[in-house]
Amino acid sequence: MADLPFLTIAEASNLIATRQLSPVELTEAYLTRIEELDHLLDSFVTLTAERARAEAKAAEATIMTSGPVSRMHGIPYCLKDIYETAGIRTTAMSKLLADNIPARDSYCQEKLVAAGGVLLGKNATWEFAHGGPSWDVLFPPARNPWNPAYSPAGSSSGSGAAIAAGFAPATLGSDTGGSIRGPAAACGIAGLKPTYGLVSRRGVIPNCFSHDHAGPLAWTCEDLAILMQVIAGHDPEDPGSAKVAIPDYTAALTGDIKGLVIGVPTTWLDDEDPPKPATKAAFEAALDVFRGLGCSIRPVKLPPLRQFDDAKKTIAVAELFTIHGKDLRTRPELFGASLRYRIIAGGLVRAEEYLNAMRLRADLARAMQSVMETIDVLMLPTAEPAGKLQPIPPSSLFTKSSFTTPFNVGGNPALSVCSGFAENGMPFSLQIVGGLFDDATVLRVGDVYEKATPWRQKRPALAVAETA
Amino acid sequence: MTEDEIVLLARQAGLNLPAEYLPELLDAYANVRRMIDRIPVGRPRGDEPAHIFVPGKFMPVGE
Repeated sequence: MADLPFLTIAEASNLIATRQLSPVELTEAYLTRIEELDHLLDSFVTLTAERARAEAKAAEATIMTSGPVSRMHGIPYCLKDIYETAGIRTTAMSKLLADNIPARDSYCQEKLVAAGGVLLGKNATWEFAHGGPSWDVLFPPARNPWNPAYSPAGSSSGSGAAIAAGFAPATLGSDTGGSIRGPAAACGIAGLKPTYGLVSRRGVIPNCFSHDHAGPLAWTCEDLAILMQVIAGHDPEDPGSAKVAIPDYTAALTGDIKGLVIGVPTTWLDDEDPPKPATKAAFEAALDVFRGLGCSIRPVKLPPLRQFDDAKKTIAVAELFTIHGKDLRTRPELFGASLRYRIIAGGLVRAEEYLNAMRLRADLARAMQSVMETIDVLMLPTAEPAGKLQPIPPSSLFTKSSFTTPFNVGGNPALSVCSGFAENGMPFSLQIVGGLFDDATVLRVGDVYEKATPWRQKRPALAVAETA
Repeated sequence: MTEDEIVLLARQAGLNLPAEYLPELLDAYANVRRMIDRIPVGRPRGDEPAHIFVPGKFMPVGE
């Protein structure tokens, strides 16, 4: 087992359960790899090596006597540095939280601990999961393992980079406008923004209450299913948490998608914001795969992309100001310039304007659910392949539309999977969107696609070259 | 909206920012204003926003 860091959760879990692999051995393999290579990527801001060794040892002892308590038992993972971890610094990448050591774990961390996971450390993010990439915050920005000169996107940037580089098989990120799916797309991995309310946000430092989603990133959809089994569920301490039955996500990966109806938002892709030709070609090729698997494709019409962005970003800037107003008034110099630009005007948004944006959100959500009722899943590219890692005008947040934000507005589950590689080696991405609380179907479709295509066989050259 | 009017709005929001941040505020607000101006207004009185209050969501945990 020379390639331990490249085992999926499913593979490692099976080996651990059959006592062919020790959690201690697996954890050491990741810690060694991180120590050797993360200086190239800056994907971790805090490494919890000693804690990981202790947890791995404890997991091994329990598994040897009574077997694993879950598929995550003895499996290393990491967390975006906005998930609060008791006794471990949680900074949100911000100078404002440089010394913040929470007293209590976030809900998801509690669940992962109970499942027997092994925490490797905390991943780089954009400041407060919103402003970036930045060079004037607490830590340098993460880089893309497919080419360290390129961006891993954001805001779950370190999370995406760590998975693709083989630094961990599992991580959790957050997604308010695309911050799980963007890094998953840029780094060629799988990332799920679950249905709003399905995974508790308790103990996740907020970006924008009404649009924040917590969710997993991993190499495969099967691994996302394993993680969802651990973290999905009702939490009375999160007012947005939904009380719904949690299915067996792994059992839902039946491989059967014959007859599924796939919608494509053609007005967005043909008229409003056409992807570049190579991205469009990769998307068409992905649709051909689904046609070959017995699915039918039909065009659907959703409200204009611009409306989703206007509603979400007006709401967000007001909520962000509410969260950060005290610090903006008293110590604005401690914010990175990117985040400060993106929230400073939020105090000038009047209540009527905020509520009219919330009324527009209601219209858009109704329209979204009406379309989703006519299809099984919606598909579109997640984003263009990653560009160079360089400062971007903070105003671009307000001026550029995205293919990910509409599903934060609607609350629908939305998955990004790798759909090939551009000429320069950077990954293409496919976004698969489902009906509310039908996350299992989204994962099933993504799993079938991954198994029908060769994209999961290729790892970043950085990793391969350095470990050969 | 003039620069003075924006500064007044900022003061009403409790933002008495050092002068160095003024260009940032003016540019950011211009972008936010453009978004707000595209949002439909003049809706029916009873048009409920995407915001509801569920009292049970705020019961103390464990009670």
